[in-house]
Amino acid sequence: MTKRLLSVGTALALTISVAACGSSSSDSSSSANSPLVGAGSTLVAPLMSKWQSDYASKTEATVTYGAIGSGGGIDQITSRTVDFGASDAPLTEDQFSEAEGVEQIPWALSGTVPAYNVKGAPENLKLNGEVLAGIYLGKITQWDDPAIAKLNPGAQLPSTKITPVYRSDGSGDTYAFTNYLSTVSPEFKSTVGTSTQVKFPTGVGAEKNDGVAAAIGQTDGSIGYVGLAYALSNELSMPLIENSAGNFPEPGVESVEAAADAVSKIGPNNEISLADLPSTAKDAYPISTYTYVIVPLESEKADALKKFISYAISPAGQSYGPDLDFAPLPKQVVAAGKKAIAKIGS
Amino acid sequence: MEAGALSNPVLRARRNLTDRIGDPLLRGLSGLAAALAVVVLVAIAYEVAHLAWPAISKFGLGFITTNDWNPVTERFGAAPFIYGTVITSTIALLFAAPLSIAISIYLTELAPARLRRPVATLVDMLAAIPSVILGLWGILVLGPFMHDTIEPALKSAFGFLPIFSGDPSAFGYLTAALILTIMTTPIITSVTREVFETVPGDLKEASYALGATRWEMVRQVVLPYSRAGIVGAVILGLGRAIGEAIAVAQVIGGASVIHASLFHTGSTMAAQIAAQFQGAPGALGKPSLAYLGLILLAFALIVNVVARLIVQRGALKDVDVTPTEAEAL
Repeated sequence: MTKRLLSVGTALALTISVAACGSSSSDSSSSANSPLVGAGSTLVAPLMSKWQSDYASKTEATVTYGAIGSGGGIDQITSRTVDFGASDAPLTEDQFSEAEGVEQIPWALSGTVPAYNVKGAPENLKLNGEVLAGIYLGKITQWDDPAIAKLNPGAQLPSTKITPVYRSDGSGDTYAFTNYLSTVSPEFKSTVGTSTQVKFPTGVGAEKNDGVAAAIGQTDGSIGYVGLAYALSNELSMPLIENSAGNFPEPGVESVEAAADAVSKIGPNNEISLADLPSTAKDAYPISTYTYVIVPLESEKADALKKFISYAISPAGQSYGPDLDFAPLPKQVVAAGKKAIAKIGS
Repeated sequence: MEAGALSNPVLRARRNLTDRIGDPLLRGLSGLAAALAVVVLVAIAYEVAHLAWPAISKFGLGFITTNDWNPVTERFGAAPFIYGTVITSTIALLFAAPLSIAISIYLTELAPARLRRPVATLVDMLAAIPSVILGLWGILVLGPFMHDTIEPALKSAFGFLPIFSGDPSAFGYLTAALILTIMTTPIITSVTREVFETVPGDLKEASYALGATRWEMVRQVVLPYSRAGIVGAVILGLGRAIGEAIAVAQVIGGASVIHASLFHTGSTMAAQIAAQFQGAPGALGKPSLAYLGLILLAFALIVNVVARLIVQRGALKDVDVTPTEAEAL
């Protein structure tokens, strides 16, 4: 046992030293291959780890990434302790001015999905934005509420009390979810609002995706929200959410892609909200969200950053998405990304 | 290497020289170490206050009494978290103190000799459980048990009291308080056990000789003799309970308004800082959390000072009291 551990350790050490040699030799050859360090969004982390290994094999450049959460990513890039940050929530105006001279580029596309645990309720329960807002505002308190029954004609609904579960830590999922609820419900917008951290009037707060999933699993009658990839890989029961076309698309890569295709408006700083979908988007998943990379306009590693982000939004980088429950970026977003990349270091 | 070349008197002079340097050197170095501790405390307090300044100047002392924490409207107040900290630590100590004293009495006076060491070790090991593991256990085991069994029972028996009203919940003040009980019990037990062991055998023997039962001996000799130590132990546990962040954040349910019911979700100062500091949005988010941290720091310092005063006074009293009590026996 010890021997095996030792040999594993030696192998690791060798790999690390080889990798170190590789990166140091490329360092001297060109600055576009200098190693990068990034931190932020946990949502993008699985895709990032694919990118890291693929990018390293193609360019011999190493990218180190710390999945510390979107808020942490914003903090770190603001203080310039990393070369790039990643966030699921676009920067606020305050954050932009505090970060001084950064560019925000959408580089992956996913969704936030509700998940529920209600004994005696049907699978694929149908809900809509107003009902979700009502639940999180504490207005709809039982699973047999007429508003829920109306969306699920003929379904047997228990009278279990609804326990909404939310993220108690700052989270890109909270941003996407509250952004959606604020779009569909004026009351939600005025009493709760949109942010990575909000004050929900009712419910239970839990830490991170795992905490939310555990709280849902342990509480009969609960509903919460987690990242799409997390929900799919953990096989949580997800309700179907009505979109603007009146359909109930299954949460997944196709429906998220449909949502992104339906929105062509790219806001200032490349901010794109997918909460307000047109009614023509029949198969669009209503709580889809972009996740962003945040890069300083001026940096010693500008060339390396440009190269890596160009790779990430390229068809090669995006091709790893679907297996990991990320939808590929639509053309106009890639075009906007390229424009933004050109600004780095110039 | 030069030693061989040196004659005896020179060696002696050298030793005197090292003596002369050694003493001030020792004083200097250890003084520096002591000063470093003070400097670190002051520097931390300064840094936290500095970070908190925007919130302090915006909210003033009203921050302490404001019952709200809304990052969207940027209205921040510490009241829900001060309340959460006070209520969870108080309940935790209400359970942990008697429990710990009972364990210590058992281990020092009642348990068969060969059981004492293993049981004491096991209790100590309880303190070694990482708080994040304890928090997970709270989510997966304790929470559902509270929701299904304990809280409905409390509600049906004492539901007329506001603190036991409302719907049972797996997450909330009471669950957090019980997790804190488990965390503080080994600390308090460990100290009280040590204190009980210092009770002079003579006093105990004297008590028995006068015909006291074991309970009377414990009540009249062990407990009065150990009073200051017990208070010190409880305060030590209180420090732990006030400062615990991770496990509490996992089970308390992260709500930011005061609720009378112990079943309801809430939060504590430490848990709120741990959960929300990373990436807190808005110009006032971080400063407000730092302000909360400053209040927590003040809390901890006050608890420490009070503990010191109690232990000091108790220690003085014990010197006066114990012999007379022993005489009385």
